Amino acid sequence: MSRRACVALLMMLVACSRGGDATSTAVPNAAPIVAGTHIGAPRPGPAGEWSLPAGDYAASRYSELAQITAANVKGLHAAWTFSTGVLRGHEGSPLVVGNTMYLVTPYPNVAYALDLTQAGQPLKWKVRPENAQAAVGLACCDVVNRGAAYADGRIFYNLLDGHTVAVDAATGALFWRTRMGDLARGETMTMAPLVVKGKVIVGSSGGEMGVRGWIAAIDATSGKELWRAYNIGPDADIKAGPRFHAFYAHDQGPNQSLASWPGTTWQQGGAAVWGWLSYDPALNLVYHGTSNPGPWNGPQRPGDNKWSAAIIARDADTGEMVWAFQPTPHDLWDYDAVNENILADLPLGGTTRKVLVHFDRNGFAYTMDRATGEVLLAKPYVPMNWSTGVDLKTGRPVLNPEKVTGQGRKVTNICPSLEGGKNQQPAAFSPNTGLFYVPTNNLCMDFEAREVSYIAGTPYIGGNAPEYAGPGGHRGEFIAWDATTGRKVWGIKEPYPVWGGALVTKGDVVFFGTLDGWLKAADARTGAVLWQFKVGSGVVGNPMTYVGPDGKQYVAVYSGIGGDMGLLIAGDVAANLPYDVRERGSTLPDLARWTSWGGMLFVFSL
Amino acid sequence: MRLTACAALAIALVAPGCSRDSSAAEPPRYAAQPIQRDSADPFVTHDEHIRPGLAAARQGLVLRNPYEGNAAAASVGAKLFVAYNCIDCHGADGSGAMGPSLADGRWHFGGSAGEIYESIYQGRPEGMPAWGTLIDSDQIWRLVSYVQTLGAGKDPSTENFTGRTIARTGH
Repeated sequence: MSRRACVALLMMLVACSRGGDATSTAVPNAAPIVAGTHIGAPRPGPAGEWSLPAGDYAASRYSELAQITAANVKGLHAAWTFSTGVLRGHEGSPLVVGNTMYLVTPYPNVAYALDLTQAGQPLKWKVRPENAQAAVGLACCDVVNRGAAYADGRIFYNLLDGHTVAVDAATGALFWRTRMGDLARGETMTMAPLVVKGKVIVGSSGGEMGVRGWIAAIDATSGKELWRAYNIGPDADIKAGPRFHAFYAHDQGPNQSLASWPGTTWQQGGAAVWGWLSYDPALNLVYHGTSNPGPWNGPQRPGDNKWSAAIIARDADTGEMVWAFQPTPHDLWDYDAVNENILADLPLGGTTRKVLVHFDRNGFAYTMDRATGEVLLAKPYVPMNWSTGVDLKTGRPVLNPEKVTGQGRKVTNICPSLEGGKNQQPAAFSPNTGLFYVPTNNLCMDFEAREVSYIAGTPYIGGNAPEYAGPGGHRGEFIAWDATTGRKVWGIKEPYPVWGGALVTKGDVVFFGTLDGWLKAADARTGAVLWQFKVGSGVVGNPMTYVGPDGKQYVAVYSGIGGDMGLLIAGDVAANLPYDVRERGSTLPDLARWTSWGGMLFVFSL
Repeated sequence: MRLTACAALAIALVAPGCSRDSSAAEPPRYAAQPIQRDSADPFVTHDEHIRPGLAAARQGLVLRNPYEGNAAAASVGAKLFVAYNCIDCHGADGSGAMGPSLADGRWHFGGSAGEIYESIYQGRPEGMPAWGTLIDSDQIWRLVSYVQTLGAGKDPSTENFTGRTIARTGH
């Protein structure tokens, strides 16, 4: 049998095994080259489309497209560009469904549909929903938006002012606009929704504003809220019922969350859901992280502060909590656990395990059993010193007592910094190589906490934490990671934190963008940089790839510096307003030599 | 901490300032007249107003800071700047963070004492809270006094790559 025929047969077999899901239009995974290695959840729609924020439910950011390869990527050139008309941080990526590209801008969250069949990509429509201006000042880390999700002819996305909208993908008509967050309590919305079986799953930002974090499902057709689960507080509110079973004994039993906060501090304890979601259709579980607890000043909230800084698995239909795990119990370093949970089936200990892989802000990469919440492996993927390792009997980090922060003392040289080993910039996974591709930060910090009052609608932080380059002096590295062994396979050192996400393709090319404005392509197997292009502004978004109406493979990425790095850390990069001229921040003192604000889409082809 | 505790903290912070108020430089606290009506015209005067038809400037309401030039009031204002979480929006020393810099000598809504008072009292459209709903005008004037000290000695007009840098905190 030829290899091609073999692949086709395998695809049919996989398709059969997924039979019964009559509504699924999933393209089955191709046969992996690394035995036992698969993407853990299917991709909706054909391989040439990109209809979900990460391309698929597994959050893999892997594409089956292979016209662009490690051998020919050096011939990539800019094909066309589009100005979003908005400056500020362009996180996320566009979607492509059929012959239309969909973009969502930072605040005011304009959505565009571009007709890819015509030269010049004219607009099919443009949507500018009502979006309260007050939201601008309540967003912690720039007025970003991490993109839209497509399902059944509709585009779903969140507005900074706490609304979720559904737009007709064909006409731009607004189907519904549902208020989900409360601005008066500091709830803004920046995350990209995930659509699961007719439910739009969303969460809010506000971990620095003393919110009480939640995740909710909205009926895709009617816009009505179907369920809402808080992440902290009484069991009934967090939907921890009969199905809840954490893997570790210290996390089991009733009222785990309520008992881990003093008094009523949980009511403004953070645990916001501002990151990426993933979904396993076989288990019917949605995976999400939660943000840091509020405030940063730990002595104001003794206890584990469950389920802040946690990874949570919930039933997609009901929101019930099925398991939960805290990478950083009683977080004292602003180590949110919101980073993406990538679903993969990996060969571990002689069998194929259904795992999720999570690169936490705290600097550990976790390979976990996604059905049970058991930590199979946890290894540092960046330089770190706040913990000496994860105890696999309990899943808990072993603390370095010298790096424990608290009110009234300055703790120096903590690694990683509060930006984490990785932040919003999502990693990618290739079943071709079996490797994870991770944009990382190499920053350390001093941390000084102070008492802070909760005043609704204002920040609830209570700490200063100046940051600087970690060991080696470079501030970032793009790495390839083997999640079965917990080892770095290769790395590309970068002068700045790698704040843009990753894309990996079947052509064994991995793409990522940098704060100083380069889009780079590297060999997925060796890490050799094969191609780079200087886009107009720093990249904090995620490259994606699609097939155009002409049958060619394209790669698209936003250029538009911002987010936490661009707005808060760099200082002068954000200083292009006549009433807001900022001095340079010491963390990235030279970044403004390389980039200024922007808001452009760049599209490349061979 | 609940709001009541917060208010108690703010009062506690003012208390040491009050003792400093007894110095000769400080006007008696409750004698302050924050709003002076210089004319019967309800129009609030701003330097930046465009006057249609080049009409002559009219003197309307003027807000005067009873603590103008009062270092003790500004030092209480610095404590209030932390207590009311202004610091985590506008950055340490007003260097800019979630909210704009207050240390650049540039103002979206005017930099006179009265204009800053208005910004704090009634809030501004892009998320600046209307603090007049929570705190009294005496505290607002102390905040104004502090905020007006933040731009001293800074020249951020020309960006360069050799000058000083400041520590910034990300979120």
